[in-house]
Amino acid sequence: MRNKKIRFPRLTVLWIIMFLVIGIAAVRFFGLNDTGAFFNAGEERQYIAVIGKSDLSAFWISVSSGARAAAAEYNLDMTFEAPSSEEDFEAQNEMIRNAIANHASAIVFSAIDYNGNAEAINEAINARIPVIIIDSDVNCNLVSCRIMTDNYLAGRMAGEQAARNNDGNLVVGIVNYDVNSANGQQREQGFCDAISESGRVSQIYTVNCVSTEESAYEGTTALLTEHPEINTIAALNEFMSLGSGYAVRDLGVSDSVDIYAFDSNVVSVGMLETGEIEGLVVQNPYAMGYLGVEAAYNVVNGHPLHSDHIDTTTTYVSVSNMYEPNIQRMIFRFDDPS
Amino acid sequence: MKTRRLRIADVSLSDAMTMVVVTIVFVAVMLALIIFNAFFRDSIIDNAITNAGQSVDQVAVTINNYTDDMIEVMDRLYVNSIENPDSQEELFEDLIEIRSDIVMIATYDAHDNNTGIWSNSDTKEMIFTNLSLYSVPADAVDGINISAPHVVSVLDNEYPWVVTITKSAEETFSNAAKIAIDVQFSRIADYIDEVGIGQHGYCFIMDADGNIIYHPQQQLIYAGLKTENSEILNLPDGSHISDGVIYTIKTLDNSNWKIIGVTFLDETVNSRVNTMIIVSVLIFLLVVLMSFLSGRLFSRLFTKPVKKLSSAMRAFEDNAAGFVYEPVLGAIEVNSLSDSFEHLVKRIQQLMEEVKNEETTLRKTELKALQAQINPHFLYNTLDSISWMCEEGKNEEAVTMVNSLAKLFRISISRGQEIIPIDKEVQHAECYLQIQKYRYTNQFDYELDIQESCKDYLCNKITLQPIIENALYHGLNMIDEGHIIIRIFEDGDDVIMEVEDNGVGMTQEQIDNLFVSDITDKRGIGVKNVNDRIKIYFGERYGITIKSELDVGTVVSIRIPKITEDMRLEK
Repeated sequence: MRNKKIRFPRLTVLWIIMFLVIGIAAVRFFGLNDTGAFFNAGEERQYIAVIGKSDLSAFWISVSSGARAAAAEYNLDMTFEAPSSEEDFEAQNEMIRNAIANHASAIVFSAIDYNGNAEAINEAINARIPVIIIDSDVNCNLVSCRIMTDNYLAGRMAGEQAARNNDGNLVVGIVNYDVNSANGQQREQGFCDAISESGRVSQIYTVNCVSTEESAYEGTTALLTEHPEINTIAALNEFMSLGSGYAVRDLGVSDSVDIYAFDSNVVSVGMLETGEIEGLVVQNPYAMGYLGVEAAYNVVNGHPLHSDHIDTTTTYVSVSNMYEPNIQRMIFRFDDPS
Repeated sequence: MKTRRLRIADVSLSDAMTMVVVTIVFVAVMLALIIFNAFFRDSIIDNAITNAGQSVDQVAVTINNYTDDMIEVMDRLYVNSIENPDSQEELFEDLIEIRSDIVMIATYDAHDNNTGIWSNSDTKEMIFTNLSLYSVPADAVDGINISAPHVVSVLDNEYPWVVTITKSAEETFSNAAKIAIDVQFSRIADYIDEVGIGQHGYCFIMDADGNIIYHPQQQLIYAGLKTENSEILNLPDGSHISDGVIYTIKTLDNSNWKIIGVTFLDETVNSRVNTMIIVSVLIFLLVVLMSFLSGRLFSRLFTKPVKKLSSAMRAFEDNAAGFVYEPVLGAIEVNSLSDSFEHLVKRIQQLMEEVKNEETTLRKTELKALQAQINPHFLYNTLDSISWMCEEGKNEEAVTMVNSLAKLFRISISRGQEIIPIDKEVQHAECYLQIQKYRYTNQFDYELDIQESCKDYLCNKITLQPIIENALYHGLNMIDEGHIIIRIFEDGDDVIMEVEDNGVGMTQEQIDNLFVSDITDKRGIGVKNVNDRIKIYFGERYGITIKSELDVGTVVSIRIPKITEDMRLEK
């Protein structure tokens, strides 16, 4: 008797389990695959904090609109923050700590200072907040994903063009920004390596400026005044491009000096036509912002990432290709009226 | 337990109920889902197609209106330039001022040399490239061409995205062969952005060559993060379903642009199916839970009490006498079942007790009857008579006497059986009568009147003899011409055995006394013994009745049922 008493419910349970299994199979058959979304519908929206290096440059405006597009697509709350000065890594660290305090689901971050931001990023990772690095790397090997231009290759791209466009003796001036920024250093390295391979480089002078137009202007002016033999300048970010462009224009040496600049805005594009700037290495900031938030979404929701390192594309723009339809689309932003 | 037959299913009632309910609900839910999928999917698809078609039509109408409006403006400018060439520049300036969506107006001569630019923004000091300069194909309607979107390249530090509407005229008007208006594209773009079809559906514009004119996510497309299905270029206007996506295509009337609506079918249909499936699964789980609970309730009210009852019955079967019944509680039906069973148990136990008592009584009375047969007094007297006969040389009579005695004892014993054929019983009585007749030297005579048909029926052994003994000792003792008649005959379903004597008779009091007193007055086992045995054996309605009249005689009649040897064996 005792045996049987145990057997009866087990039979019923088996019966019910059988139906549940058939039910689940049927559910699969009907193509139900986002039940999770149904059950998650009532949950709070995930919050992604995007912390950039600047909120003034066209580059970072484009990053933030890419991030916004991804946030809209994946139904996330997203904030974009950046310090007013592109040197102020302390302000960035403060923003990271705020994001931790606000229980961000993930942080998408671009480091002003390779080492200076490392501690705050580690704090975030210790608080179990995944970190996605975009554009500029930080000294931390625990971040979930890095999405950036291969800055060394971008530097090489500019260097190769410089060597190709001038078959004479090359005297190079580098106008770089913060010496602590990994990006700038890698670009400089790439540029110098590529141009040196031509074997026609007689001298390389480097000036490091603060990442503002004025500082770059002063730096370039000083460089060119001190070394008037310079005929090739590498300006390694958007503000460096503008500053050195204006400096060359004002010194009246735009014919003798070729500037190879990074990133684009309407002014630097104009300088392509007027001849101060020879070529622009244009990154894909919109993709960085978009992919950064997308990767954050995937990490937070446990979806596997294709890779922990994504290289975004770079394009070389010169006066000869700047109005090609695909280049137009890249350098003239649609949602940007100016 | 070992002999239990194989059951169809070893399932309790409540489990069976749960299973049945779960099965029915499951089948119903599955059927509902299948029907929903089969019948409503089509209608949802139709709905989605209709919605997409409406949205796309609306976009087409809006864009058509807008371009028509622009073409109308262009026609005005053209007419004015012919009729009133002097006011042309003024009109251009006014138009730029009033219409914020017109970025630039430019005129060109027959050799595409720029003859004038009107804009609210400054033009570049030096114009390297002019993207707003288009030639108008010869077959263009009204000589009007609408360009693909592009940036304006002639403004200082401004690169707005525009569409250039160009009109060329055969006859030159003023100093221009061509007027080009750059219209801000963001007006159209904003409108397209606003259009949503379904949850994530959208509209985009493509030209006849497959170039995307505008896409709400064109930044993603330009950044290389998204591509559109390239096959749609070759599809005609109308709705097309491909891989769960509905593409609704409409070509604009006044340009080669196509409006393409993209609706994600799976999303639309599946979200409904999903909701339904989830609701169904929840209902199903709820039903499972409910049927579990009701099964438990049912079990508490019915199954468990019934199980308890059945185990009680089994226990009762195993040990009927010592069983103590504890009533089970459950549903009303179960309670009444329990009450009935309790009653049954009590009744059976009572009957068992009775049977046991009767058995005891029977054995006792039987023993007494046998003991009476071997009464030493009777034996002594009989043997004495035989000895006298031998002495007197009545050998023949002595032999008869001995035979009778032997037969008497043999039948008395009858191999321990209580029931013997009437024939045997009659022989027994006859032996006894013969012996007594010798002893009492023919002081009485007797007569047997036996129906032949009754001889095979059964009766208790030692039934007639005690009655005859009574008749001899109490009835006939005082008179000389004693006469005893023994009759056996059928009476319906019964057999009556009568012993009649013509003796002194008895008073009613004496008769009554015979049935009460266990001990006979003098010898023999008495009427009560016989009566008791018949009643125990055959039932209350059988037994002895005595009719007696003083100085006339007594009739003792014994009623027994007709029972044959075969009937007894069957029992």
